[in-house]
Amino acid sequence: MKRRLSLLPIVGVVLWTHCLVVLAQDEPSQDRGTVAQRRSVAAAKIDEMLESHWQSAEIVAAPQSDDAAFHRRAWLDLAGVAPPVAATRQFLADAHETKREKLIDRLLRSPQHARHMATRWNSILLPADALADFQQRTNVNALRDWLAEQFYDNVPYDHLVGSFLTAGGAGDAGPAVFYTSHTAQPEKLAAATSRIFLGLQLQCAQCHDHPFDRWTQKDFWQYAAFFSQVEQSGASQPGSIQPGERVLIEDRPGREVMLPQTDQVMFPRYPGVIESPEADPSDFRRRQLTIWLASRDNPYFARAAANRVWEHLFGRGLVDPVDRMDADNRPSHPELLEFLANYLIELRFDLREFYATLASTKAYGRSSAMPAEQRPVESSFALMTVKTLTAEQYFDSLQQNVFFRSSSVAMGNSSSIDPLRESFLARMSPTIASPRDYPQGVVQALGLMNGPEVSTALAASSGDNAFGLLAAMQAPFFDDSQRIEMLFLATVSRMPTSREVEQIGALLSQCENPDETRTVLADVLWVLLNTAECAMVP
Amino acid sequence: MQRRSWLQFVTFGAMGVSSSGWLQRIASAAQSSNAGTRHCIVLWMSGGPSQLDTFDMKPDHANGGTFKESSTSVPGIRFSEHLPRLAQQADSLAILRGVSTKEGDHERGTLLMHTGQVPGGPVRYPAIGCSLGKSLAQDEADLPSYISIAPGPFSRQSISPGFLGPSHAPMTVESAPQGDDGSFAQLRVDFLQPSQAIVSQRHMQRLELWRSMQNEYLQHHPTANALAHDTVYQSAIRMLGSKASDAFDLSQESDQVREAYGRGAFGQGCLMARRLVERGVPVVEVSLGDGLGWDTHADNFAQVRRLSEELDNGWANLMSELRDRGLLEQTTILWAGEFGRTPVINSNGGRDHFPQAFTCVMAGGGIAGGTVYGATSKDGTEVIDGKINQQDVLATLCQAVGVPPTTENIAEGGRPIAIAEGQVIHGVLR
Repeated sequence: MKRRLSLLPIVGVVLWTHCLVVLAQDEPSQDRGTVAQRRSVAAAKIDEMLESHWQSAEIVAAPQSDDAAFHRRAWLDLAGVAPPVAATRQFLADAHETKREKLIDRLLRSPQHARHMATRWNSILLPADALADFQQRTNVNALRDWLAEQFYDNVPYDHLVGSFLTAGGAGDAGPAVFYTSHTAQPEKLAAATSRIFLGLQLQCAQCHDHPFDRWTQKDFWQYAAFFSQVEQSGASQPGSIQPGERVLIEDRPGREVMLPQTDQVMFPRYPGVIESPEADPSDFRRRQLTIWLASRDNPYFARAAANRVWEHLFGRGLVDPVDRMDADNRPSHPELLEFLANYLIELRFDLREFYATLASTKAYGRSSAMPAEQRPVESSFALMTVKTLTAEQYFDSLQQNVFFRSSSVAMGNSSSIDPLRESFLARMSPTIASPRDYPQGVVQALGLMNGPEVSTALAASSGDNAFGLLAAMQAPFFDDSQRIEMLFLATVSRMPTSREVEQIGALLSQCENPDETRTVLADVLWVLLNTAECAMVP
Repeated sequence: MQRRSWLQFVTFGAMGVSSSGWLQRIASAAQSSNAGTRHCIVLWMSGGPSQLDTFDMKPDHANGGTFKESSTSVPGIRFSEHLPRLAQQADSLAILRGVSTKEGDHERGTLLMHTGQVPGGPVRYPAIGCSLGKSLAQDEADLPSYISIAPGPFSRQSISPGFLGPSHAPMTVESAPQGDDGSFAQLRVDFLQPSQAIVSQRHMQRLELWRSMQNEYLQHHPTANALAHDTVYQSAIRMLGSKASDAFDLSQESDQVREAYGRGAFGQGCLMARRLVERGVPVVEVSLGDGLGWDTHADNFAQVRRLSEELDNGWANLMSELRDRGLLEQTTILWAGEFGRTPVINSNGGRDHFPQAFTCVMAGGGIAGGTVYGATSKDGTEVIDGKINQQDVLATLCQAVGVPPTTENIAEGGRPIAIAEGQVIHGVLR
């Protein structure tokens, strides 16, 4: 007998714990002062902890970034796209002292931010093959749209994870794709959820006791037992949803997992907790797990979440890699991680405020530019890490600043799939690597140099179908130096240096007719799009 | 500790920035030579091939299945009946029947067999192809030192350069799905335009400006990712200007030659491997089993029969063409998958994952052909003689290729790590 378990009780519980936060957020200006104060106190505390570490290690920290670098960084990190040319000009001209804080607040409330967070989380949650499989694109996009809504509404992180983990039924087209892409297998779901939400590599204990940590094979399978009831129906092929298929995720009490090579049934147990979990009134195991996951008794959840946000902004986790927070992988700054985890709990998992706090630290504002012999070790966070743009960030920036087309960043608009974007993403390396690596290979570099995106950008400068940046700068009221400026702002989000103006100006001055000028400008655009600078967050 | 890795960046940085004379190199488009170079070809069986239905037959046991055993060019060595062309070349093959590991998961097993190391530890170990590519690479070669053709879903992560850094990452060649019309599988590298475009005046000017902007940026941002960007672009630019990239154009071969390798991605990949070895590429990996083709949980025998045919044509032809060109002596071949299959046949007529006892095969340069090393029990469930693990296989491969397995590279944190830590099996080496 199949039985749909009601999700209402859990939603009720989670909503109840968060109603205070929701009210506080809706409170108008009078509370804004205290929010701002709490934020600046926390940011100062973070800087203090880092600085005391530098002092004892005799590290000289990098100065603050210039405005252009900070602006590009904030846009790419928070909105997922390089800043539009006009926004950069405005920011550079703005003389207000608080312009950096204001920028961060504005970006964090933008739909682009919600979209970017959703894209990030999509690639964290789904296996690489599901992301790469075009057949599953509709479902992958459905999850992204669902996530984007949650982030736009700033649903507290624990609540978000809760509704994600208890998702079921055809109505939850978004989260359900997580279960189907892991073929609804308890061991796969256990491995993924413990890695993503707890930072633990429990799956190493799937076949044998963990080689580098204290987890036993039993620990793994007892955790997997929380997912033993999950069942998918309606999919003709395990592991993927074919177009037009409606897949149901259901929980069926009575299904159990066993310790491999034995007939020992494994009953659910929280990792590292000796007592068995309290019985759930309707034996809904995923709900049992969710209640513990977001509770203060769980030492991993807030820590893993705080570490992941830190990694997003600083390019390296306090424990790195972020999904391997095993006992032998020590944090670079243990007290700071402890502080951040507690602060996130204090904020009741308000991610937006947490991001705003980290982004307003002096550490986040530091420059990444320093010659090799002066660079402090990256894990000291005494200078900003240079992060590689994801393929999405690169394409969307090109789309916005060079093609002058708005990406479909509007909410719930994923039905409009842009073929140029799709083919670009399919071609670029799908490996989810550290932002400190450059994941692309020779084949991808060839595509960046000779592929259709750049060719489109360069070919569009003249003729009946002229569009985008190169076409726009043909207007007679621009002089050469303004054109050079536009090219730099559109690609690397800064003004050209005087040396660059001179160098390119010399090429332009040799041109004898508008055609030649166009060719040189197109070449400069080609160069800029293929520089390391254009591929990096400063 | 951290100081060491920081110093590595410095030297790496100096390489990236001071690349004087590189434009001339593009213009000259030097032809690469392969005199004296050693090569390694890995034939990767994605999904885990059935040892009992290929190289370790059990015809007298219920676990043996439906295939017949058949004799080979070496008395006493017998293969499956569906590998007739390889059987004729058994005198070039060494069969390792006692391989035993502990990883029964595709992803972890693929990583284990490629790196020799248990996944999940603190050190990011490089795939053996990256380590060998690094040791065997020639300076300023036009083609990358490790090329992986049609990698399966789990191979992508397992062929990572790890702590060697992205400049030692393999280049991958993708295969387009084969049409129903029976035409040759398409293997190609996109955007590899003819070399005329690149030496044009206009492009030289572009590249000069690009170089100057890169140098300016790298001077103040000598970070791993920015330097890797530069390395990758430099390789791509070198390849654009070189004739060696013709290796990827299989239409330069006659249909007759292409046909002999088999029309699928594996056969065509073997042909491309021969062309790459001819042009001096040290390490090539060719995958068989689009996706996880060898993962025969159901209907094992029909699938293995089909896969065997592809394997037999591609591999046998590769060996004879390399031999004809005098290249087989310089090229060591390893045939392996992430694990073997269960001797017991399940209720779906399939075989499941079985890392406890399976087979790898080596051939070519440095290998004593016509040998069998190790044995499994009558029912195939355990190794009874010559038990070896993934480390031993990789160490033996290194030795055969002429790179001592004790060769060390420096991992993150300054720790020297040998490229393979197992025991060399001298019984299969010449």
